[in-house]
Amino acid sequence: MYEIIEGFLEAARLIVTLDPDVIAISVRSIIISLTATVLASLVAVPLGAAIYFGTFPGRKSLINLIQTLYSLPTVVVGLLIFLLISRVGPFGFMRLLFTPTAMVIAQTILVLPIMTGLTISALSGVDPVIRDTLRSLGATRLQFLANIMREAKFALLATVAIGFGRAISEVGAAILVGGNIMASSFASSTRVLTTAISLETSMGNISESIALGIILLAIALAVNLVITTIQHR
Amino acid sequence: MIFMVRRTLFAVAAVMVAFLLICGCTGTTTDQTPVEKQQLRIATTTSLDDTKLLAHLTPIFEEKYNAEVLIVSAGTGKALEYGQRGDVDVMMVHDRAREDTFIADGYGINRRVFAYNYFVLVGPESDPAGVANMAPEAAFTAIREKGTAGDANVIFVSRGDASGTHSKEQSLWKAAGFNYTTEVKGSGDWYQEAGTGMGATLEMANEKEAYTLSDIGTFLAYKGDLDLVPIVDEGDSLLNVYCAMQINPAKYPDINSTVAKDWINFLISDEIQQEIASFGVDKYGQPLFYAAQDDWEKIGVTEAEVKDPIA
Amino acid sequence: MIELEGVRKQFDEKIVLDGVVGRIERGEIFAVIGPSGSGKSTLLRLIDLLDTPTGGAIRVNGADIHAGKSLAIQRMMGMVFQKPAVFNTTVAENIAVGLRFRGAREAAIREKVEEALEMVDLSGYGDRRARTLSGGEMQRVALARAMVIEPEILLMDEPTANLDPVSVATIEDLVVRINRDLGTTVLISTHDMYQGQRLAHRLGVLMNGVFAQVGTPREVFTLPASREVARFVGIENIVDGVVVGENGATAVDAGGVRVRVAAPLAPGERVSLCIRSEDLRIAPADAAKAPPGKNALPGTVASIVPRGPFSRVTVDCGFALSSVISWKRVDDLDLREGSSVTVSFAPESVHAVRRE
Repeated sequence: MYEIIEGFLEAARLIVTLDPDVIAISVRSIIISLTATVLASLVAVPLGAAIYFGTFPGRKSLINLIQTLYSLPTVVVGLLIFLLISRVGPFGFMRLLFTPTAMVIAQTILVLPIMTGLTISALSGVDPVIRDTLRSLGATRLQFLANIMREAKFALLATVAIGFGRAISEVGAAILVGGNIMASSFASSTRVLTTAISLETSMGNISESIALGIILLAIALAVNLVITTIQHR
Repeated sequence: MIFMVRRTLFAVAAVMVAFLLICGCTGTTTDQTPVEKQQLRIATTTSLDDTKLLAHLTPIFEEKYNAEVLIVSAGTGKALEYGQRGDVDVMMVHDRAREDTFIADGYGINRRVFAYNYFVLVGPESDPAGVANMAPEAAFTAIREKGTAGDANVIFVSRGDASGTHSKEQSLWKAAGFNYTTEVKGSGDWYQEAGTGMGATLEMANEKEAYTLSDIGTFLAYKGDLDLVPIVDEGDSLLNVYCAMQINPAKYPDINSTVAKDWINFLISDEIQQEIASFGVDKYGQPLFYAAQDDWEKIGVTEAEVKDPIA
Repeated sequence: MIELEGVRKQFDEKIVLDGVVGRIERGEIFAVIGPSGSGKSTLLRLIDLLDTPTGGAIRVNGADIHAGKSLAIQRMMGMVFQKPAVFNTTVAENIAVGLRFRGAREAAIREKVEEALEMVDLSGYGDRRARTLSGGEMQRVALARAMVIEPEILLMDEPTANLDPVSVATIEDLVVRINRDLGTTVLISTHDMYQGQRLAHRLGVLMNGVFAQVGTPREVFTLPASREVARFVGIENIVDGVVVGENGATAVDAGGVRVRVAAPLAPGERVSLCIRSEDLRIAPADAAKAPPGKNALPGTVASIVPRGPFSRVTVDCGFALSSVISWKRVDDLDLREGSSVTVSFAPESVHAVRRE
């Protein structure tokens, strides 16, 4: 019990005094996961829309497959990416292993299924009368899509938030392809909140772990707060 | 609305451009352009990282060679895997037998021994197996005997992760006359595999009031947080030799061999050998590592392996 | 303007429209009436290019609209749906959507939106969030949204089905004004035949996948084309029988009771007689004989059921005939169940339709 209280006090100190390592790790976490989320959105939203509005054989099975992939284990994604980008792998020549880029790739792939699936759900949530109204008002294909997206924007925003939440909180892929490197330059380091928590705990630095855990929690809460605020506006 | 879309697109574009720049930097530094910093990727056994020895040495190197050191901390087994796949430039490990295989297979070259210390059998102060100050093999035999007999107080936590320490532990069981796979591993609840790094394994042994084999460096670094004490710390079989070696550029031509050589030569330089020998003395009252430079006979390697810089 | 040429629509196994034929003239208000599930919405959706017919053709100004499916044809039409649905933005932006689709300039949009708001009596609501409005207000926004693009044809699919009576009146008033002032052709579907009667120049009664009758409200309500239409437009007394000749005049034998009718019918034909309850007169059995030429059928009162300030009196004359009369008259005539009465009505009040 004492350890936990002490941990929290030290955690508070690290946060309040803006400990440079803690800040760097937090900022890096946000940058990597945000980039992954943005990239995944750029793929998932159009893909989700294409699947939702498309009519092609196997559409139902495809949606089922996507939903199955929601629970894609992060270490499996990590392993897959590791094998692909390791020096002897097919993309080894790009020398991406143990770089933030590799983590972005892994997290992008990790959140792609859930974001695609949630995009489909978000679009399904739009009232059919709204769809009819848009077509009735003489919308071109593009205008139709843009307006449906706009109607679904809160659900889509929630999709992005959920994707970001999953990306920033995963540890399995991050440690496998990132390597948890703390280099002297910010851009070469791959230590993020989750891998740092894992490392610090294994090294017995409970207070650092708690501090990083609190920050991770705070980021997740902040994201949700922003979403709810926008939704209630 | 259209304005909003544009703004969002702009934000997205900005993030992407920023990111590409970051990637660009990391990507291009591996090129041999003189203006930019060289990157050196090292896969290291956890003990060198957990003790903060590398954190102490890398800034000196980075300053001197205008390079950036990226350290991936893993057990020796995993480090060798990274090396074999060409994902790192240098490996720092402590498992002589597997190093030999690795070199014989053509993956590693230019091995240099830069430090050594001793493994230590640690356990609860109460020493439930009563093995204090025995010879290592005798102590292992006694622990196994009590453990398999069903003494619930006697537990041995193994790294269980194919690390150098795990290798050493296996060789000690073998030296004590047991078949590791059939007579130790899986022989009862007394023998538990942690499957993690040294620090975490020590934490686990501490929680379970168990015995474990640790390198002295990590143990000293963690000692403050632990109730474990050294039980057996003498015996030639506990010797722990750290080496650094280059990944063979013949296997992976674009490996950064220049800076890799610099790093290894840096480790065996007089200045750094002194740094290694004195590292941690102020904090722990005793060194975590000994410099290999003058003790090559004691640790059973050639003089060239501790002294000759790589050409 | 709009020609329906054997329009068919089938959803999986279910045939909803089975060869609808009809013509809607430019500038008229045409109401499609029919029971729930008769395919009214489907027909409107086909015309608005929201669905594709399984067979037949729909022509607007002579062109088969489903052959080209051009945006230009779609943009000639505006549609208001049964369920009030607004975009999640301001009222003004809702109304502006169609104009934006057409690339209108900002100044023009502002002006037209303002006019449209005024038309539907929502001036000053422009900046409100549309989702905060009541159902009736939302439906007015939907109407303004459809009208601001100045469509040649306004399609309304049960626009007042979910609204309170005041909103219904407001919307109906708007429809009439839009048609009168702008000359917009209006095609409205409703299950409320009285709404059809109030608004439309002509009605189309959609039943069993086809127009059972097309005509003015007067024609449909007084001269229904079939037993089903008669039933739907609320004619309470429908009597089946066979035509017989009777002294040079036409009469119908309904289970032994003879009813004289004015229309010329060939003997032997099987017909249904439609008699509006307001054309019936109930008098005591011993009262003076009905004027010559009138039907006067003796019977006994089978039931008296109160209905608002009136009573619905059903008389068994061999077949049941119902009339709605005031309480006072029920008292004056001393009517009660079992009373003997005479039911009289003119042959001209009887509308005979052939039975299949």
